[in-house]
Amino acid sequence: MRAGGPRPRYSALALLRARLAGPGYWRPLWRGARLKDAYEVVVVGAGGHGLATAFHLARDHGLKRVAVLEKRLVGYGNVGRNTTIVRSNYLLPENQHFYEDALRRWESLSRDLNYNVMYSPRGVVDLALSDGEMCDLARRGNAMRLAGIDGELFDRAALKRFAPELDTARPRRFPIQGALVQRRGGTVRHDAVAWGYARAAAALGVDIIEDCEVTGVRAAGGLASGVETTRGYVRAERIVFATAGHTGAIGTLLGVALPIETHLLQAMVTEPVKPLVNTVLVYVYPGHGETYILQSDRGGVVMGGFLDGFPSYTREGQWFRLENVVEGAVDLLPQIASLRILRHWAGTNDMTMDGSPIMDRLRYDNVFVNAGWCYGGFKTIPASGAACARFVATGTAPDLIRPYRLSRFATGHLLDERGGGPFPVRQ
Amino acid sequence: MKRLDCPFCGPRELEEFAFHKTLAEPGAGPFAAVYERANRVDLSVEHWQHLHGCRAWLLVRRNPGSGAVLEVRALGKAAP
Repeated sequence: MRAGGPRPRYSALALLRARLAGPGYWRPLWRGARLKDAYEVVVVGAGGHGLATAFHLARDHGLKRVAVLEKRLVGYGNVGRNTTIVRSNYLLPENQHFYEDALRRWESLSRDLNYNVMYSPRGVVDLALSDGEMCDLARRGNAMRLAGIDGELFDRAALKRFAPELDTARPRRFPIQGALVQRRGGTVRHDAVAWGYARAAAALGVDIIEDCEVTGVRAAGGLASGVETTRGYVRAERIVFATAGHTGAIGTLLGVALPIETHLLQAMVTEPVKPLVNTVLVYVYPGHGETYILQSDRGGVVMGGFLDGFPSYTREGQWFRLENVVEGAVDLLPQIASLRILRHWAGTNDMTMDGSPIMDRLRYDNVFVNAGWCYGGFKTIPASGAACARFVATGTAPDLIRPYRLSRFATGHLLDERGGGPFPVRQ
Repeated sequence: MKRLDCPFCGPRELEEFAFHKTLAEPGAGPFAAVYERANRVDLSVEHWQHLHGCRAWLLVRRNPGSGAVLEVRALGKAAP
């Protein structure tokens, strides 16, 4: 295939053709685009949500002039900084339907994008350390099953069979009692999600413009007319902000105070080892914090925990939280104690006042915000992209995201999954 | 940002302190005071408590973009 022809579709046949054609067959995943003067829709932020929104705008709604503007690089933000976990084990019906829609889409995403995102349904295991926690997990599991989501409550013996890496018999101050398991939950390769959506969107004619920061919004006659960027003014009929992690700052840009605080969440990965952890373990231990552990396909043990606990945009994780996460991990799986941490990073999170996302118009009728993903944005990308695109294209929010309107804070229809109140550090 | 300078105890590790909330813009109504937050990248005015120390409530002014602490004072005390 020569440069300028259509981009090859990935398949076994394409591998064979590439072998025969020799070097030059494979080409960059997406074409470079030049910023035009005007677009139907400008999506701000080339992360998972922005790219997925642009992809669905082009594929499902046939929009031809769509641009994704990115301050830095595709996938520089949270889509590349999360711990790759996908699950839909939520308690509240509104969240269950939305996250389940996302999980169903993850199951077929590799085919939809023609890009292997490596969805791995290895199970998400929420551990219980007391009878009270078992009751709590049983309640959540029952709520999930009523919504048609798979969930199983395991006692200690069943858990041992499912996750043999766990030493459930060892005497502990808080012995492991059992777990709530969602087998369809698991992991997805996060970078592949960003690249897969970017490739698929660009193939449909979406312009992906990197190194282009939006610095302001121009308005005329009660509607936004375009965005000021570091590369000049761009006219837009509709604007979507998919900048989770920095949406608070976008609110300031538009002169709107949002129910959002920006907090840091850390994650870390050890040196690669042979298969050791077969599932995703979530371990909340009394009085200390939380650790979740999984093993990446490359073999590194990935760990994360609670937020650092105060607003920050620095992406500079606090040492005490790292220590805390590692303590939990070693307590749960003593066999990883001698592994060395290879990399450690932090990402900025839009933490909302009830722990649930915000999808609504913002200040102008043609400005949309896809935000407030707290620490759970990655797993919702396919559902969020499809719903947000429908919202933007038709002007009507689909039922799936209607509960995530901004006015819920004023009307009292909060979606407070943990019951923490309007304090993001408790979500 | 590694430490806060407690006006009663002196500089202490951040781990001793508990962040409570970011304050809304001055003059905000009750709804805004509960749910809305001023989200400036260069300035955040917050309530903290020296939870694992003297337990005093503190007013902290910080730059969340750079991590710099601009001011820590006891809550209710006017700026000198």
